[in-house]
Amino acid sequence: MTKATDWKSYQRVLLPPIKNLHHLNVYREHGGYETLRNVLAQKSPEDVTTEMKRSGLRGRGGAGFPTGLKWSFMPPVDPEKPRYLCCNADESEPGTFKDRQLMEYNPHLLFEGILIAGYAMTLKACYLYVRGEYASWITLMEEELAKAYDANIVGENMMGTKHSMDIIIHKGAGAYICGEETSLMESLEGKRAYPRIKPPFPAQSGIWGAPTTINNVETLACAPLILEKGADWFAAIGAEKNPGPLLYGISGHVNRPGVYEYPTGMLITDLLEIAGGMLGGKKLKAVVPGGASVPVLRADMIEGVTMDVESLKEAGSMLGTAGMLFLDEDTDMVAFLRRVARFYHHESCGQCTPCREGTGWMENLITRIDDGEGNLRDLDLLLDLCDQMEGRTVCALADAAAWPVRNTINRFRQDFEKRCRPATWVVNA
Amino acid sequence: MPQVIIDGKAYEFEGHPSLLQFCLDHGIELPHFCYHPSMSVPANCRQCLVDIGAPARDRDSGEIQLNEDGEAVIQYFPKLQTSCSHIIADGQVVHTARTSDKVKDAQRDTLEFLLINHPLDCPICDQAGHCPLQIQAYKYGPEGSRFEFRKVHKPKKVKLGPRVVLDAERCINCTRCVRFTDEISKSGQLTIIERGVKNYPITPPGVSFDEPYSMNVIDICPVGALTSADFRFQARIWEMASTPSITTANAKGSNCYYWVRDNLVLRITPRANPDVNEFWLPDEDRLVYQQFNENRPNGPSLQGDSGMSSWEACMQKSVEILKSSGKQMLFIASAYATVEDNWMLLQLANAVGGEVAGYISHVDLGHGDGWLQTDDRTPNSQGCERLGIPPIDLPLWRARIETGEFKGLYILEDDPVASDLCGVESLMELDVILHYYHTTNQTLPSSSVALPAAMVAETIGTFVNDSGRAQRVVPAKVIKGTNRTLMMQMGLSRADRHGTPFDRWHNESHYVDCKPSWEIIPMILKKLGVDTVPQGPRRIMQHISETIPSFQGATYEAMGLSGVELSAIDTEVII
Repeated sequence: MTKATDWKSYQRVLLPPIKNLHHLNVYREHGGYETLRNVLAQKSPEDVTTEMKRSGLRGRGGAGFPTGLKWSFMPPVDPEKPRYLCCNADESEPGTFKDRQLMEYNPHLLFEGILIAGYAMTLKACYLYVRGEYASWITLMEEELAKAYDANIVGENMMGTKHSMDIIIHKGAGAYICGEETSLMESLEGKRAYPRIKPPFPAQSGIWGAPTTINNVETLACAPLILEKGADWFAAIGAEKNPGPLLYGISGHVNRPGVYEYPTGMLITDLLEIAGGMLGGKKLKAVVPGGASVPVLRADMIEGVTMDVESLKEAGSMLGTAGMLFLDEDTDMVAFLRRVARFYHHESCGQCTPCREGTGWMENLITRIDDGEGNLRDLDLLLDLCDQMEGRTVCALADAAAWPVRNTINRFRQDFEKRCRPATWVVNA
Repeated sequence: MPQVIIDGKAYEFEGHPSLLQFCLDHGIELPHFCYHPSMSVPANCRQCLVDIGAPARDRDSGEIQLNEDGEAVIQYFPKLQTSCSHIIADGQVVHTARTSDKVKDAQRDTLEFLLINHPLDCPICDQAGHCPLQIQAYKYGPEGSRFEFRKVHKPKKVKLGPRVVLDAERCINCTRCVRFTDEISKSGQLTIIERGVKNYPITPPGVSFDEPYSMNVIDICPVGALTSADFRFQARIWEMASTPSITTANAKGSNCYYWVRDNLVLRITPRANPDVNEFWLPDEDRLVYQQFNENRPNGPSLQGDSGMSSWEACMQKSVEILKSSGKQMLFIASAYATVEDNWMLLQLANAVGGEVAGYISHVDLGHGDGWLQTDDRTPNSQGCERLGIPPIDLPLWRARIETGEFKGLYILEDDPVASDLCGVESLMELDVILHYYHTTNQTLPSSSVALPAAMVAETIGTFVNDSGRAQRVVPAKVIKGTNRTLMMQMGLSRADRHGTPFDRWHNESHYVDCKPSWEIIPMILKKLGVDTVPQGPRRIMQHISETIPSFQGATYEAMGLSGVELSAIDTEVII
């Protein structure tokens, strides 16, 4: 029973403090792959999915969709048709670096989660799509995966049972858009990473048109824990509607940035304390709680706000990936937004008109304001552009680009107005 | 039958139509760029957004919820939907820009975005005048632009291949061209490179966009980004007249438009006909446009003079030759000529009592691709066969001509010397009457009487394609001299655009002094003392359709603009 308030006594499970846990033998010494063995021997696939549903786990990739429910969307098994699991490790959201930590320090937990998920959905192959920039962790995982193959944990008749499953590690080529599940599938198929129209959803038509489930790294890493310790254990950790351990990626103007594992529902203020407080003892100005695309919160808005879906929604933001960015009182919000806008401009795939054209226009406007050349009307134009982009594209990148602009301007309007040229000029007659 | 309510009006539908196609089919205009009926739906331009809802149902009972006035409560999708990718379901309610300000705003916003990085060089753009972006920007777009920055610059005048030139700045990334090469022609020669706002289509490194169907991307490009290397900057669209017709570079008879300005054919574009060529046209059918303008004769000629004899003198000479040769006159029909012309030739041969050798077959084995290119490079060999004219067995007839069996040769719209039917030497002894298109015709120097014949763009007539479809052509450009039948068939507005002999600005030198063979032959017959009935292509075809079973039903009225399928026949093929 670990509630967020008892965080000081929290025992880490996703990233336990064990040296060299990424080695297969160390992982096995600490009970690794025993859950998988038990699941294969004792549980039916339906039981596993039910257990996942009961645990209340919600996807850790940003959208927060209930994982067990997602698994249950897979159509009944058709022996003629392949079906796939896909693990989304294309972690590219600015301010998010938690999956990297899992892949570096506990890759076998991820593999075990993948194998359990594969068993639950009766499928034989999982593509692990890793962000290309994570080259050294890809090498590490490839080595460890080879060891797991040698130990017959993965592959044909794994662990001596009649079940077989392959894990294929695929290296991305460096595009933010590939983190969007449908364009990730396009990219896997060797095509240009343009997001697909939904419906059909991946569960009906995913990789190569086959039923596919896509889960985030951290989500899949939770699966062995749930099946080992039980859904009740998991559901009791952290926030009620969004339970479980969570990797908080803390960055920005804090003394000890990094990835911290704690229950969901932690107070933002507690997390700031955990990260060693603000750098140089300065005052907090703003927090971006879930990666660059979620709305920014002013320091005065975080009182009592906890890191879970419900509480953050109420506060006017989102949990996203729990990649938290703390900004101190000296932060120039215009420059901050300029950088964020530049990112989305650079990463828009260019498929849909509003996003392709809008992201660039936004960056132009914000750059002009930042350079002191902007006009007050530019702020209203920026807000207009947000309206023109939001909800009008195939994927959510346009939304992700519009939210920070809208909310940063609305919540720090004075910072922006100060940088703009005055609306009226005094004319000397 | 299931129904859908669009802008307050109920429509019944069958099957699973996409909303956009359904609207277009029912005359409801929805602006769009990326959608093309024969290709996949990427929904990337986001222009065809509409508001879609359905009657709300009670969760437990499944009953439709009613409001206080007893009307169904409509539950709308939270976001606007792209109509191209939306499959209509029974009972849905759709609002277009006509009934929804939300949709109107969204369509205006998308156009504002599309135009910010578009060069707006309409005054020098080939597409201006029939540009979907231009038209829809005027109809649905914003008044002006709020964009105050430097536009994105991309490569201009990129030669993608021998026939297609790209202006990447004009591109709106609809991906129609890429989808065409992926899904229709399957050459895969185009792809999108770069990312985001720098995107544009191009060939992969080391690849030239040279597939035989490359120019179709020019037609489907909704802006002026893809232009024809030949037609680029040649004419404004509103200066030209387009005439629906068919192409003659092969036996497919693909439907097309001839685009004419000042009596010159400047380009040939496809005309949609689902039964023949759908929306497409191979490049070979388009590149022949110059043959209507160049190397055309300057009037009829008699041997010895330099090509400026009168029609009257030539007719007289022809009659003399025909009379003196009599039964020793050999007639050669033509797979380039219309059914009417070939039928007329048969009447002439009949009147004189001469023999008809057949038509010269122009088959280029392996040229056909099972789609819109055929091995047969002539448009009307089926038409000849159906008239009972066989293909000429070249060695056999060559031998017969060389033995001196014949005294005269009457050639309809072909070139026996170039086709190796007879050598120049063997023609020295013969009186040759030639109907010809071009001054490059190699039989021309050996001919006693050379009569310029009207080509497909100048005549009226019928062609039968390789699958037995009879299709008619109408004149796209004017010939010298007055022919009431041709003038009646000319597009009504055409004379205004291109001048009549009474307009001071028209260029006389662009008028070719030729006549359709169905006009020439009756003139000769009349001089021979034979009155031909019927006269004129329409009546000839009416007569043919009534008397020859394999042409049953092929009247001008039945053919209309899209042709009629004739009953199948066995054709003789000589290679």
